[in-house]
Amino acid sequence: MTQKLVKGVFLQVSSGTKGLPRSVLFLAGFVLIVLWIFISVAVRSNSGIGVPFVTATVGFGFAVMLIPAVLRFWSLKSSREQQAAPTVSNTQDGQHGIVNRLLFGSKIPLAILTALVLALVVQGLASVFVPEHGPTLPLRLVGAGIAIYLILTLVVDWYPRLHVRGSPGLLVTVGLAIVLSMLYMTLASEFIVPYDPFTLEVGRSLEPPSLQFPLGTTFLGQDLLSRVLAGGATMIQVAALSVVVCFSIGVPLGLMASYQGGAADRIVSLVMDSLFAFPGLVLAIAISAILGPGVVNMALAIAVVYIPSYFRVVRSQVLTIKELPYVEAAVVMGARNREILSSYILPNVLPSAIVVLSINFADAVLTAAGLTFVGLGLPIDVADWGWDLTFGWEQLLSQKWWVITFPGLMIVFLALGFTLVGEGFNEILTPKLKE
Amino acid sequence: MQTGDLLTINDLVVEYKTRRGTARGIDGVSLSLPCHTTLGIAGESGCGKSTLGRAIIRLVPYPGRITNGSIEFELDRDVNVPDKDPVRAGRYNLLDLNKDQMRALRGEQIAYIFQDPMTSLNPMLNIRKHYREVLKAHNPRIEDEVVTKRTEEVLDALGISPERMNDYPHQFSGGMRQRVMIGLGLVLRPRLLIADEPTTSLDVIVEAQILQEMARLKRDFDLTMILITHNLGVLAETADMIAIVYAGRVVELGNTITIFEDPLHPYTKALLDSVPDVRKPDRKLAWIPGAPPELTHPIPGCMFNPRCSHAMDICREIQPPLQPDKNGSQVACYLYQEAH
Repeated sequence: MTQKLVKGVFLQVSSGTKGLPRSVLFLAGFVLIVLWIFISVAVRSNSGIGVPFVTATVGFGFAVMLIPAVLRFWSLKSSREQQAAPTVSNTQDGQHGIVNRLLFGSKIPLAILTALVLALVVQGLASVFVPEHGPTLPLRLVGAGIAIYLILTLVVDWYPRLHVRGSPGLLVTVGLAIVLSMLYMTLASEFIVPYDPFTLEVGRSLEPPSLQFPLGTTFLGQDLLSRVLAGGATMIQVAALSVVVCFSIGVPLGLMASYQGGAADRIVSLVMDSLFAFPGLVLAIAISAILGPGVVNMALAIAVVYIPSYFRVVRSQVLTIKELPYVEAAVVMGARNREILSSYILPNVLPSAIVVLSINFADAVLTAAGLTFVGLGLPIDVADWGWDLTFGWEQLLSQKWWVITFPGLMIVFLALGFTLVGEGFNEILTPKLKE
Repeated sequence: MQTGDLLTINDLVVEYKTRRGTARGIDGVSLSLPCHTTLGIAGESGCGKSTLGRAIIRLVPYPGRITNGSIEFELDRDVNVPDKDPVRAGRYNLLDLNKDQMRALRGEQIAYIFQDPMTSLNPMLNIRKHYREVLKAHNPRIEDEVVTKRTEEVLDALGISPERMNDYPHQFSGGMRQRVMIGLGLVLRPRLLIADEPTTSLDVIVEAQILQEMARLKRDFDLTMILITHNLGVLAETADMIAIVYAGRVVELGNTITIFEDPLHPYTKALLDSVPDVRKPDRKLAWIPGAPPELTHPIPGCMFNPRCSHAMDICREIQPPLQPDKNGSQVACYLYQEAH
């Protein structure tokens, strides 16, 4: 029954015609289980609007996904009617085609449009019905709704395409599903947590998991479940930001310096090697001590530490690749440096850079936890897995295992998600590994 | 030098500056190449065959440098230089062109095919994208449909079915890859094709196919070709003229039949004798004693004199010039020059 229901809903929006492969049903099942977990948590939410919130986000996600499909169906029907009319001149037809392609051909612009319209509607509804939550509610609702939309598109639209690539496609899908679920959890946490994650002594100190506190309580008597749900925000922000900064500095720098060679290469390599010579965590501590606490500063401190690892990997690859016959062949055919870098060297370097990225992400999460541990990361009243990990360490010695276990597991899941995505993309991007 | 030749090389010198001294990879080579002919360049390893080919497109590998001479090339059409003024049709010394102009000429007028097709294609790009890159490099505004059409034409001409253009290099066999490479060289319709041992890494059957293909393409595309190889059999099949190169110098230059029927230079004779012949299994395979001289320490006179059985006194003192002989070839040997 459930299967049929899921199949029915998904078939309406699927781009495939032959129905869905079995693995899509498993993924849909995964989504349902995640949603069920969220709803069962939300039932006891302290904001009082947990279940409506989750329902609204799911509705939002489905609407963003379904409305473009409906519009497209409608436009196809109308264009079929148009074909009966006499054809206009060629140029006009071409322009019309481009407009059509932009508006209806690709789903993404339509989805963005739908999301914007829905966001305005949500804003209006929220200000009428639940004014006490202020501007954060519509914002979070739209954000979480888009996360749901992305998960749904992933299952229905992206996966059938990635599926052809075999197991790497599955890796990417599973990884993205994990990461997106984490994102949803973080965005929704404010409204579905059973207790305020910052309030002290909602229960007794260090209570083991029970019905009232499903994951137990911390040393300060905070509800661990609420802290686990809400604690991902800083982690995800810091890790994502630092990885983006690292990647966008380290990779181009490595490409250009080592392709250019000579003095440029030597100077940049020297700087990078001296950065690399520092122990990572010590350097990060020094930098964040200079910059002060905060998400952006923490991300920058971590980024500086990890730029050399991209640089070195990219550099060693470029040095090998630029001597290969196909690069020489490109020179002989009259290619310019810019083209050689962008279409001959970069694609061959990218797989290794992406592997570094996925490892780097896990590292960044752990370094962020480390910075918080020495007191340079975040203020103490912020819910953060790093904090709980730090304090949980002492409690583990007195056999209170839950304080450290659950935040740790979340970090593991997050890092796992990113690693899966990185590993899968590595294989998808390398044509030779396809078979 | 008579006009009407596509390419005229005059007293070209390429030097490699190494730690052990300056080596002359090419030492005063002069050649002229009429349109629609195939010039074979033969010689043993390290004699400067590839350096000569590379020098023509001005891509002598580091630390080599062209230090003297001129390479004149006839342009029959204007060549677009992206973002710059085009190079007008006319006769140019390639060594006078600037970097951008030279880059525009490569591929568009002069194509170069490498020895190893297995590694000469980018493993991350499919075949269509290879062709797109080449076409885009010379005409940034070219449309994708045009690219697809041109690719289809060229692949079809080379006997690869156009449906395969979305495949990646590793899905092709060696012979097919070399065909793809040749197609890449030809897609811009160049006038001069320099093939640097195009069939060396292929097996004999594929080699024969590719050579036949190239002969046909030469006719269809109006090509002038320079074929660099150490395989004299290949040259006998395809070349109109053969230049025998030894230690950076042309020692004999003549049309193919004359070279094979009536070789003049002792080195050419020795080279031909060292080719095994299936029909005469009893014949003892000749070999040339000694090794080519160190290019960093050139010897006076004819470079071949220490290995030559006919060496005379003058051979050890003065370098013989390349002079026409009565059988039509040009030869650089005192055995055939009356007055000295």
